[in-house]
Amino acid sequence: MGEENVPTSVVQFAQLDTLLNLCRANSLWPMTFGLACCAIEMMCTGGSRFDISRFGAEVFRPSPRQSDVMIVAGTVNKKLELAVRTLYDQMPEPKWVIAMGNCAISGGPFKVKENYNVIEGVDKLFPVDVYIPGCPPRPEALLEGIMTLEEKITGKRRWPRIQAGC
Amino acid sequence: MDQVVLTNIIYVAIFLAGALAFGLGPILIVYLLSPSSHTRQSAGRADQLIECGMEPIGSAWVRFGIVYYLYALIFLAFDVDVLFLFPVAVAYNDPSLGAWDFVEILIFVAILSLAVVYAWRKGVFTWEKKTYQRP
Repeated sequence: MGEENVPTSVVQFAQLDTLLNLCRANSLWPMTFGLACCAIEMMCTGGSRFDISRFGAEVFRPSPRQSDVMIVAGTVNKKLELAVRTLYDQMPEPKWVIAMGNCAISGGPFKVKENYNVIEGVDKLFPVDVYIPGCPPRPEALLEGIMTLEEKITGKRRWPRIQAGC
Repeated sequence: MDQVVLTNIIYVAIFLAGALAFGLGPILIVYLLSPSSHTRQSAGRADQLIECGMEPIGSAWVRFGIVYYLYALIFLAFDVDVLFLFPVAVAYNDPSLGAWDFVEILIFVAILSLAVVYAWRKGVFTWEKKTYQRP
């Protein structure tokens, strides 16, 4: 995306920023916004079994003007491109984007020579903070994505990282 | 001025100042702490009023049929009927109430229902576009 002009606040105070970022990371409000089958997994994550509210991210807002994080869950077509861009524009700062699933990351199964209408990755439209691979990713992967975003915001990880094979 | 009156005025003034602080404080805090200089754009459409991403078709300032208005009025008539029947329902189990009280309730509801009957006679319940002409 090149240079990015990230908005800043009037008052800048390191200790206060740490506190605010901690608050923001623990109340990430996603947008109610599902495009394809990944959205089913996102709904499942919002349900009681996986319970995204453990991380303060259960408040799916119906309006972009109230949401912090946009979870792009699914395929973005050319026809939908302007709508997705508009939603991103309407979100107030600070805002983050999670690209969930292979379609949102790179076009996934649609990234073929014959493809004519699928955006090959939402990072072609606007900056993306966290990528969650999978087709579709399991709810645990989305939770891991939320935790990764928290880590990006606060600089600290909520739980110790689990090593593979333990 | 009386000492007590003065104290009361000070109390009210402190209360008003506190209320004002609660009202304006959040706005000030948000102005100082939120990164609100601008929001990052990808298509420059942050000012679009509709929040679903789609371009709105036509204006929101359209004319609605007057039929809706009449329907709302008639709903109000029904609504007030039911509202006045709540105290009746509460008091109805009293053993001192007899058959004559029931007749009284019926008369009361009948009088209220006249509004509905009037609208019925005027043809409100036929869902048609109406054109009114001055006589």
